[in-house]
Amino acid sequence: MTDAPVLILGEGELRRHETFGRDTVNRGAVLLDCTWDGGIFESGVMAGGLFRSGTFRGGVFWGGVWMGGTWKGGDWENGFGPDGQYHSRTVHP
Amino acid sequence: MKVVVASAHRFPDQARLWFRFVGRDLLPALRGAGAEVEVLLFRDASPEGFEPRLFPGATLLTRSFEALDVVEFREKALERPGDILFLLDADVFVLDGEWVASLLGHFEDPTVAGVSLLRRGTLPGVVALMARRAAYRALQAPVLAPSYEGLERWPHPTKRQAGDRAALALRARGKKIVDVPPAAAAPRLADFSGATAIRTAREVYGAVLGPRFETLLVEQPDFAEGAYDNILLGALFRVVFGAPYAVARGPSPFADPDADTHLSGSATPEELRTALAAINDRKALARLVASFERSDRALTRLAAREGLTRGALRVPPVLPRARALEALRAAAGRLFGKR
Repeated sequence: MTDAPVLILGEGELRRHETFGRDTVNRGAVLLDCTWDGGIFESGVMAGGLFRSGTFRGGVFWGGVWMGGTWKGGDWENGFGPDGQYHSRTVHP
Repeated sequence: MKVVVASAHRFPDQARLWFRFVGRDLLPALRGAGAEVEVLLFRDASPEGFEPRLFPGATLLTRSFEALDVVEFREKALERPGDILFLLDADVFVLDGEWVASLLGHFEDPTVAGVSLLRRGTLPGVVALMARRAAYRALQAPVLAPSYEGLERWPHPTKRQAGDRAALALRARGKKIVDVPPAAAAPRLADFSGATAIRTAREVYGAVLGPRFETLLVEQPDFAEGAYDNILLGALFRVVFGAPYAVARGPSPFADPDADTHLSGSATPEELRTALAAINDRKALARLVASFERSDRALTRLAAREGLTRGALRVPPVLPRARALEALRAAAGRLFGKR
């Protein structure tokens, strides 16, 4: 049995309007208006977009919608909960 | 009548320029109209650089558990005793305080809940909003926060900007928000709408992106517009205060210690010039040039309030020569096309 392929996003990368699935790990990329669906967000910036599922371990969450997933750490600059309501700085899900 | 002027600022230099116009042109006019005035300036950043001596008479607030960010600050400002809360964005500069003060007359009509001096969306928002405190406080909290509706329709939900839900709720209650026509506001307020966003973006992820940040100037028109706005504001700031503007904060390990730091926290004229040269879509470029021209007119008015001409500010050219000629031809075409 082989491991599933892993897409690793790194520092200096800029992605816009893309969807990333469960086999993705972010290690420093900036995602603008992207959908995160199942992977591990270790560092980098999620600006706008939708965090549908996965784990947020580090980095900056800025202005996106948090629909679901697990918050383990990082900087919540601001964003919105699954009900669409605003969550201010540090008030992460 | 008591008016509370409330504004949130992330950048001390921008706040200093903003307050120069508020202090000189707005506050005396409001007081002259018989209003008691309080200015709340929320420092949405480290307090460093926001020395009280630079903002005489203003109440400087910092991030706290009562107001963690600008959205919570607006809610707290609404709780401040007063009749009218005047919310004014950091990148909107008052040129004609007497005109602003004259708008208070609208509140003699008890059905008027607010006066929107400037809007950037389909609803009045909070960019430059005079809000009757009693009417807004009657709404469910948080009153002015942005929100999403219809998230199940992602990626096409409805985004309610700050103040939008309040405007809808007030209208549903039969209240009015007076919309000042853009043509009436343009000579009296100078709007540099993208100036703050690009600086915030550069601060949050500019260092992580490195040179890739400059591609955003090519691909996102609002970034190019904001960069140009800061070049203009920076030119004015340098002449008025004799200091660089929009200097990058925080560690920048690759920076040359002897380099000019002016605009390093936004985009330098060279960076913007390079980006504009890379834009191949002529229509997109024409839209940008039209936006630059609007900002140029706003700068000319700001400079005039300082007794300066635009020429005295020595704004660096940003359009590559070939593109500048194209823009001139397009402008001439528009001019003669109208005749």
